[in-house]
Amino acid sequence: MFEKILIANRGEIALRVIRACKDMGIRSLAVYSEADHDSLHVQAADEAICIGPGPSHQSYLKIDRIISAAEVGDVDAIHPGYGFLSENAHFAEVCQSCNIRFIGPSADSIRRMGDKSLARENARKAGVPIPPGSDGPVTSEQEAIKAAKKIGYPVMIKAVAGGGGKGMRPAHNDVSLVKGFLAARMEAEKAFGNPDVYLEKYIEEPHHIEFQILGDKRGKIIHVGERDCSIQRRHQKLLEESPSPLLDNDLRKRMGKAAIKLAEAVHYENAGTMEFLVDNAGHFYFLEMNTRIQVEHPVTEEVYGVDLVKEQIKIAAGERLGSEFDNLRPLRHAIEFRINAEDPSNDFRPCPGTINLYYPPGGIGIRMDSHIYGGYSIPPFYDSMIGKLISVGPDRATAVARMQRALDETIIRGVKTTIPMGQRIVRDQDFRRGKYSTHFLERFFERKVETPS
Amino acid sequence: MDIKEIKAVIDLMRKNSLTEFEYEKDGTKIRIQRGPDGKPQVFTTTPGLASAPVLVPVPSAIPTAMAPTPAPAPAPESLPSINSPMVGTFYASPAPDAPSYVSVGTVVTPESVVCIIEAMKVMNEIKAEMSGTITEILVESGKPVEFGKPLFRIRPA
Repeated sequence: MFEKILIANRGEIALRVIRACKDMGIRSLAVYSEADHDSLHVQAADEAICIGPGPSHQSYLKIDRIISAAEVGDVDAIHPGYGFLSENAHFAEVCQSCNIRFIGPSADSIRRMGDKSLARENARKAGVPIPPGSDGPVTSEQEAIKAAKKIGYPVMIKAVAGGGGKGMRPAHNDVSLVKGFLAARMEAEKAFGNPDVYLEKYIEEPHHIEFQILGDKRGKIIHVGERDCSIQRRHQKLLEESPSPLLDNDLRKRMGKAAIKLAEAVHYENAGTMEFLVDNAGHFYFLEMNTRIQVEHPVTEEVYGVDLVKEQIKIAAGERLGSEFDNLRPLRHAIEFRINAEDPSNDFRPCPGTINLYYPPGGIGIRMDSHIYGGYSIPPFYDSMIGKLISVGPDRATAVARMQRALDETIIRGVKTTIPMGQRIVRDQDFRRGKYSTHFLERFFERKVETPS
Repeated sequence: MDIKEIKAVIDLMRKNSLTEFEYEKDGTKIRIQRGPDGKPQVFTTTPGLASAPVLVPVPSAIPTAMAPTPAPAPAPESLPSINSPMVGTFYASPAPDAPSYVSVGTVVTPESVVCIIEAMKVMNEIKAEMSGTITEILVESGKPVEFGKPLFRIRPA
């Protein structure tokens, strides 16, 4: 087992990994930017090394400084968290060449499944259904029009190097396709350094349902159930739950099998997530794979009683997935709400600032994964997520009731947060009945505008 | 540390609401702790004793520095410092038996090499980036440094 791990991340996920290290008696080394000097993950770690000024590209994305810190700190392994360098195949390779274990899949897996167009191809070869789409990137307007005709409108233009909901736009006809095609290429070049885009059928009333995968070094791959992440705003997840209100046991079994089949086909190792779109008729289509631990991993942990971060570390250290993973059953229902420092009444504008009063929720069935504290100043350089509120219960109704109680109880003063929106979502009749698709939130806002509260 | 420096540290601790301060140089260690009534207590250790583990931080204290490098003593005067532009290991001279690049009193120009920071087996020459006279060397040769860590105190020209 590792003796010391460097956490190449910040915020709540850095704290999460540090906690797993403490549970396992592993020393933790935090790296931090000057803007994160007072951050909780720096306090919680056994050791900390400053790696640069605030902006991410000068600190958390500086591979050379992170590797130097790893060498200076004499660590055995690096946990990349999510975002930042977690899906950077080059970083995984650098770790390997410096004899530092990268806690995640191989660089090859990251490349094969991180390229969205390649991933689709791997899915097709493995016999996993994919949304009809272009065979690879479309490189000209003419090619795009031809492909769209074959697929049938409406289509979605997606960046090959994109992911996490970024770099996608719909098109309903040739005119919007050409406009969108050019704009998407420009955006993709800027955001991901790769302008390539591909086309996919735009599925109506889709549900975004993903499966948690774990694979060990011996090739044993299992899934730890699904998460329903349909409640999204501009393709950013806001609320996730498990089990999905949409799936019955049969569909869960079939999708789980497909997820494992695809992971096996690319010899996947460590934690990963297969994302699918599911329509109301129960047809599912592979969307993309995230080759890292995800933000919403606590939902799965609470439902199945598994410590996913601990399993990541164990797998990276060479341990096998034991028999306890052979017959996993969902034991509870869990819901996670992401708390962002954003102003819901101002188009969700990010609100960095100082938290002058913080009272976290508690009580039965409540878990708060957050790095904030009273007096903490949220730096402006990073994303606006300041915490994840998870509610757990023996059934969905209890989990919803507990989420409502916890959201009502939470106090965060000094910055605007999305908590009021969470409070409205859990009181919504469609949500409470478990009847929602990825269009839920836009309809929700339209309804709000019509009926002023 | 002399009594003047200890008094300056205690004053800085009170001003910044710090509760613990630890300093080590040449085998001598000194620890200053503010008790519950705010009164400072000073502990010293003689050379030869094992160094204490890294301080467990309290929410209002400075964050944990990386072990085993302790927090550097704040300078009595507020002269500017030359800070580390990278993470690595500090070396005062180009080779173990060679003389140091600079010492106290050395006059430097922006292009003067003041030290080496080794990272991933690459020796990086660090330049002064300003003109002035070196007044203090803040890091021991062979010790690890993080980004932004003050390496030298300098009196600008």
